[in-house]
Amino acid sequence: MTAPRKKSQLEDVLPLSPMQQGLYFHALYDSRGGHDVYTAQIVFDLRGRLDAAALRAAAAALLRRHANLRAGFRQRKEGSPVQVVHREVRLPWEDADLTGLPDEAAREAGARDIAGRERTRPFDMARPPLLRFVLIKLAADRHRMVFTHHHILLDGWSTPVLQTELFALYLAGGDDAGLPRATPYKNYLAWLAAQDRAAAGDAWRRALDGIDGPTLVAPGAPDAGPGTRTGQVRLRLTEDLTAALNARARAHGVTLNTVLQLAWGVLLGRLTGGTDVVFGAAVSGRPPELPGVEEMIGLFINTLPVRVRVRPADTVADALIRLQREQADLMAHHHLGLADIQRLTGAGTLFDTMTVLENYPFDADAAGTDLGGLTLHDVDGHDATHYPLTLAAVPGRGLSLRLDHRTDLYPAGDAERITARLVRILEAVAHRPALPLGRLDVTDGAERDLVLRAWQGPRTDRAPGTLTGRFAERLAENPDAVAVRAAGEALTFAGLDERANRLAHRLIGLGVGPETPVAMLLERSAEVIVATLAALKAGGAYAPIHHGYPPERTAWAVGEVRAPVLLVDTATRDRVAGLDTAARILTVDDDPGLAAQPGTAPAVAVHPEQLACVLFTSGSTGEPKGVMLRHRDAVDLATDGRLRGGAHDRVLVHSPHAFDASIYETWTPILHGGTAVVAPPGPLDGEALERIIAAEDVTGLFLTTTLFNLVADERPGAFARLREVLTGGEAGSTAAIRRVLAACPDTEVGHMYGPTETTTYTTVAALRDALADPAETTPVLGRPIGDMRVYVLDAGLRPVPPGVVGEAYIAGAGLGRGYLDRAGLTAGRYVADPFGAPGDRMYRTGDLLRWRPGGALEYVDRADLQVKVRGFRIELGEIEAALAAHPAVANVAVLAREDTPGAKRLVAYVVPRRGGSADGLREYAAGRLPEYMVPAAFVALDTLPVGPTGKLDRNALPAPDYAGAAAGRAPRTPEEEVLCGLFAQVLELDEVGADVSFFDLGGDSIAALRLATLARRAGVELTPRDVFTHQTAEALTRAGEPADRLGFEVLLPIRTSGTRPPMFFVHPAGGLAWGYLQFQRHLGPDQPVYGLQARAFTQAELPGSVAEMAADYLAQIRTVQPSGPYHLAGWSLGGLVAYEMAARLQAAGEEVGLLALIDSYHGQDLEVDKREVLPELLEGIGVDARMVAADGNPDMAQIMAVLAERGDALATLGEDDLVNVYRNYENGLAQAEAYRPGPFRGDIVFFTALRGRAAGSPTGRSNWGALVDGEIEDYPLDVAHHLLMEPGPAAEMGAVLAARLGKLHPTRG
Amino acid sequence: MTNPFEDPDGTYVVLTNDEGQHSLWPSFAEVPAGWTVAKTEDTRAACLEYVEANWTDMRPGSLIEAMGD
Repeated sequence: MTAPRKKSQLEDVLPLSPMQQGLYFHALYDSRGGHDVYTAQIVFDLRGRLDAAALRAAAAALLRRHANLRAGFRQRKEGSPVQVVHREVRLPWEDADLTGLPDEAAREAGARDIAGRERTRPFDMARPPLLRFVLIKLAADRHRMVFTHHHILLDGWSTPVLQTELFALYLAGGDDAGLPRATPYKNYLAWLAAQDRAAAGDAWRRALDGIDGPTLVAPGAPDAGPGTRTGQVRLRLTEDLTAALNARARAHGVTLNTVLQLAWGVLLGRLTGGTDVVFGAAVSGRPPELPGVEEMIGLFINTLPVRVRVRPADTVADALIRLQREQADLMAHHHLGLADIQRLTGAGTLFDTMTVLENYPFDADAAGTDLGGLTLHDVDGHDATHYPLTLAAVPGRGLSLRLDHRTDLYPAGDAERITARLVRILEAVAHRPALPLGRLDVTDGAERDLVLRAWQGPRTDRAPGTLTGRFAERLAENPDAVAVRAAGEALTFAGLDERANRLAHRLIGLGVGPETPVAMLLERSAEVIVATLAALKAGGAYAPIHHGYPPERTAWAVGEVRAPVLLVDTATRDRVAGLDTAARILTVDDDPGLAAQPGTAPAVAVHPEQLACVLFTSGSTGEPKGVMLRHRDAVDLATDGRLRGGAHDRVLVHSPHAFDASIYETWTPILHGGTAVVAPPGPLDGEALERIIAAEDVTGLFLTTTLFNLVADERPGAFARLREVLTGGEAGSTAAIRRVLAACPDTEVGHMYGPTETTTYTTVAALRDALADPAETTPVLGRPIGDMRVYVLDAGLRPVPPGVVGEAYIAGAGLGRGYLDRAGLTAGRYVADPFGAPGDRMYRTGDLLRWRPGGALEYVDRADLQVKVRGFRIELGEIEAALAAHPAVANVAVLAREDTPGAKRLVAYVVPRRGGSADGLREYAAGRLPEYMVPAAFVALDTLPVGPTGKLDRNALPAPDYAGAAAGRAPRTPEEEVLCGLFAQVLELDEVGADVSFFDLGGDSIAALRLATLARRAGVELTPRDVFTHQTAEALTRAGEPADRLGFEVLLPIRTSGTRPPMFFVHPAGGLAWGYLQFQRHLGPDQPVYGLQARAFTQAELPGSVAEMAADYLAQIRTVQPSGPYHLAGWSLGGLVAYEMAARLQAAGEEVGLLALIDSYHGQDLEVDKREVLPELLEGIGVDARMVAADGNPDMAQIMAVLAERGDALATLGEDDLVNVYRNYENGLAQAEAYRPGPFRGDIVFFTALRGRAAGSPTGRSNWGALVDGEIEDYPLDVAHHLLMEPGPAAEMGAVLAARLGKLHPTRG
Repeated sequence: MTNPFEDPDGTYVVLTNDEGQHSLWPSFAEVPAGWTVAKTEDTRAACLEYVEANWTDMRPGSLIEAMGD
C-alpha cells in the first residue's frame, strides 16, 4: 500500500442493481410522507462481559471492508440514479445506558422504545452511511445491539454474514488482517451488466404468457402507509409433518421451497377463486458463478413472480414436478428486476402476496455460540413488508411458518384461519401425492354451512303442481273474478277458461297432445293468455317465437320445436304467410272452426313434470336453443312466497311473450286469483307506464335493467303507485334505483337475478333497505327464493368462501328439464349436484358471483362469451357464426364493449377474404339476426390478434373508432352545436360532427329515445322519428320552413355530403321515402343521397298524374343539382315517376347516369275500383300489408300496433300520417294505371321481386324493353314485392347500385 | 378461470341418476350421491357423443312411467 495522500472523498460511482433501483424510487416516493417502509432492523442481545470499544471498532472495520455500506444514492441530472461510494464515512454509533432504570421491565421497555425510534428515523438517501448502530447497556453483563439500516444496502441473507463478520472483527479487536478479503459489490454489478437481459425478458414473457390477470387478495386496497400495521401469525409445524414434507420433496426431486410454493398457490386459488395464480417469492439473487458470493454483504435479494397453475385434475405429485420444472427454467433469469418483468410482460402489478423461505446460510440453532465469553441471542428483526399477506418459512426440525398480514385488510382471526388452511393443504401435500388438486378440501366447516345452507332459499313443503290444475282451483274459487284486462276489456276466469277450452279442443283436433309444443307468434293482447292456457289444457307446451326473428329464423324455430301448429293472429299472420313450414297455421282471432268447439275443459291429465313451455335463448353454436320448463317450475315461481302478499296480484304483461319474464307476468297474478293486465302493443315509455299503472291499478311489474334505467332517468315517479317494481337482467345502476326509490316512497324495488334455464328468477333483493346505506355502490342480488339454491363454486367444484368470486350453479326448484333435443348440451349444463339430495341436478350459469360477508349474492361478471345488451341475452358465438357465413368474411370475432360505462355495444371484428369486402355486412346481419343482435360497429382488421398460444386475444381487439368516425365537420350554427352536444352525450363520445349519422356511431332505438328526451329538456323539439329520418345534426337542424315537417319534406336529405352527383330515390305509392334511408350506408360516404316524398303530408291536394309528380320533383332536385348527370331510382310507383323524370331530363338535353327501377311495371290493370285499399296501404311504405284484417275492415289501432313493433322510423308514424299514406296509396295506384311512358335512351337497372308473382306477370324486359334502346339488366331478388326494403334485399340492391355508381365515378387518386 | 366442464384437455365421465338423466362430469371430482358412472373416463367430445347416443328421451323416468309409454 502506498502512503495515504490527499484523496478525493469520492471512491467510486456505480450504477444501481435493478432491486436497488426499485427501492430507491420507493424511498423517494415514500419519503414524501416522512416514512420509509424499507427501513430494516436487526436486534440481538449479547450476554457476558462486553468490550464495547472493541465492538465499536469492529463496526467501523465493517464499514471499511465493505465499500457498498458507504454508498449514498443520488439522481444524475438526467434522472438516472447512481450510488456514490464515499472513501470514508463517520460511523453512526450511539451508546445508551439504561442500567439506571428501576427494573428489568422498565429497561426492556426503554430498549424497545429506542429500537422503535430508530426504525422511524428516516435516512437521507444521499448521505451515507444508510445505517446506524445503537448499543444499549441493559446490565453489566447484558447489552443489546440495535442495527438499523436501509434495505437498499443489504438483505436478509446478508444478516448472518454481517453478524459473523462483526464478531470475528470484535474478537480481533477491529483488525481485519486475519479475514479474507471481502468480494466487492461492484463485482456483482459487473456480473449483472454482463447478463443477457433480452433472453431473460423472453423467458419471463414465456413464463407469464396467458395469465388471466393479476392475482390480488385485496384488490383496490390502499397502499401501505405510516399507519399500516402488520400482524404476525406464528406457527411451528410438527416434526412429523416437517419430515413428511421433506420426504415428499425428495420423493419427487423437488425442493422444500417448491412444496411451500405449491401449497401457497393452492391456498391463493381458494382465496381468489382462480386456477392460475401468481405471487411473489423472494429469491436470494446470489449468482452461484460469482466467486465469494455467499460471503457478500449487500442487496441481492429479488422478489420474482411465481406462477402456479392450480388445475383441479392435476395430482399433487404432478403439480409439484411441473412447478419445480417451471421454476428451474427461470433460475438463470433471476437477475431481472420485478419492475422490468412487469414492464416487459405488460402485465403491471402481478400480485399482492409473497412467500419467502428464509434458508439463510446461517445455522438458526447456532444462537448462543460462544464469542470470547459473549453469547449472541436473536431478539427481533424488522424487515420491510408491505404486502397484504406474506408467508415466511424458516426451515428446522419443525418448519416455522410466519404469516405477516396487514391488519387493516386481514384481522387476526382471518389470518389465523388462513394459516390453519395452509396447514391442511400442507398435510394433504405431504401424505396424498395422488390426490387431484380439485379434491383438496380446505373449506372451513362453519363457512361451508353458511354458503351451502344458511344463506339459501327458505325451504317449503310445497307439492309440485300444474299450471292448469292451479288455474282450475282459482276458477272454482271465484269464476267471476277478472283474470285478464286488455285493451279496456275484462275477461273473467270463467270467460278465459271457456275461450281457452275451445282453442284447446281445436288444438287437440290438430294433433296437439301431451308434451306437444305449440308455436306462437302473437301480438300482445288477451289472445296471448288464452292461447297459452289453451296449449297447456291440450296437454302441450307453449313455444313463443321472438317477434324480432327474421322470417328465415321463425321458420327454423317452428321446425325446431316440431310444432304441428303455429298460432298467429290477424296482426301477425301475414308475417308468416310465405313461411316455409309444415306446421298448420291457425289465426286465433279469426278461426271459423273455433266457435263449434266445446267450451268445457278437455279431459287431458297433466303431470307436474310435463313441459309447460319452450323458450328460445341465444346459442353459441349459431342457433338458438330451446329451454324446456315444466309445469312445476312455472307454478313454483308464480306462487313463490316472495311474490305473495298482494304486490304481484295485478301485474302488467308487457314483456315479449318469448321472454322468460312473461312467465312471471302471466302466471303470478292468475295463480294468485288476481289479474294479468295486458299492455297495449308497442314499446312503453315512462309516461305510458305511469298512465297504465294508474288506469289499471297495477300493483307490480318487471322491467329490464335498460328500460328501468331509461324510465328512472326520464320519469322516476312513474312507479309511485306500484307496490313493487322488479328489475334485473344486467348490472343495475344504484343511481337509477335510488332515484326511483326517492321518487316512489311507497314502492319497493326488487332486484331479480336468474337465467331462463332456472325459470326466470332465482334470487331477489329488496333494494330499499339494501341501498339505504349511502356507501352501497352495487345493487346486490340478494338470496335465493323458496326452495332454490345458488352455489358459488371454484374450478374444483367446491364452494368458495364469502368474498371470493366463483361461478354460480343453481339447484332446487325451477330447474327446468334441459334444452330441447340437445342431450349433450343439457348434460354439460345441467349437471350432478354434489350438495343436494342424491340424484339432484344443478344448472351451471356461467355467471361469476360472490357472497357478501352478510350473505347477499353479488354479481361480478360472465365466465364466458354470453352477454346482455339492452336486456337481451346474447351468445356472441351466435353472431360470429352468422357473420362467418358471409362469403366475403374470412374470420370474425364479436365483442360486447363497454368502452364508456353504461354504453354497452356489440362490435364485430371482421377479417375480409382476400379481395373481398365486408361492406354491407351490417345489412347482411340484419337479414339473419334479430335486431338486438346486429353489431353497432364493424371493424375491418387484417388479422385477429392472437396470444402466443394461438388463441384469440380478445383484450387486444381495438375499440372501434367511434371518435374518428364521429369527427365529421364542426357545427356551424348554435342549433347544430346543441344537437352535436346531445349526440355526444347520448353516445358517450367527446364530440360528434354535424354531418355524421347517429346510427353509424352505435346509436340504436333506445339511444334515439334518450336523445329525444334530452333534446326536449334542452328546448329542442325532436321526436325519435326525427332521429331515424334525419340521423345527422345537420339534417335535424336544417328543418326548412315551419310548414316542412321534419321527415316529411318533399326532398328528404339522406346524405348531403360527398362529391359525387346525388342519387335520388322516388317514393312508392305510400308517399314516404324512409325505406331508402338505409342506402346511405350501402352507397359509400362520397355519395349524396336524397329521397323524394309525396306532398300529401304537407298539403291537402294530391297530384293528378305521374307526369305532374315528375315535373314537381325535377324542380326539387334541381335545387341541389342544377345539371346532370342525374341518378334516379324508384320502387313500385316510384319507378314510374323516376322513369318519367329520366325521360324528361333527356328531353331537356340533360344526361341521365343511372336509372334503376325496383319492381316497377307500367300499364298494369290494378283494378283500383275493386281493391280494398286500406288492407294494402301499409304495402306502400314497405310493411307487409296483409297484417291488417283480411275482411276489408282494418282497424287503425291494429295498424298502429304493427308499426309500433318495428325498430325503425315507421314505429314513429302518427295516425294522421297514416291517413296521408292511405290517400297517397289510393291516388298512386290510379296514377300508375293511367301512366303511359315514352321512350328512354340508355340502360336500365331493374330489380325483380320473385316471390308472390302472379302467373303471367310481366318482367322488366317484357314491360320496358320496347321503350328502351339500351340494356335492361335484371337482378332477381328472392323476396316479395312489398318486402323489398327489408334490410337484406336492400343490401343486395345497394351493392348493385354502389357498383354501378362506382363505375360511373371512379375514385380519384 | 377455466370451468371444469369446459376444459378441452380434461377427461370426463358420464353420470346417470335414477331418472335416467345424464350429466357430464370431470373425472377428477368425486361422483355425487345418487349418480352412477355410465361411461368411464374419456375425452369431453367422446362423453358428449355418448350422451347424444344414449339419452334419447329427455323426460325423467318417473314421467315416462306416469305417461304410460
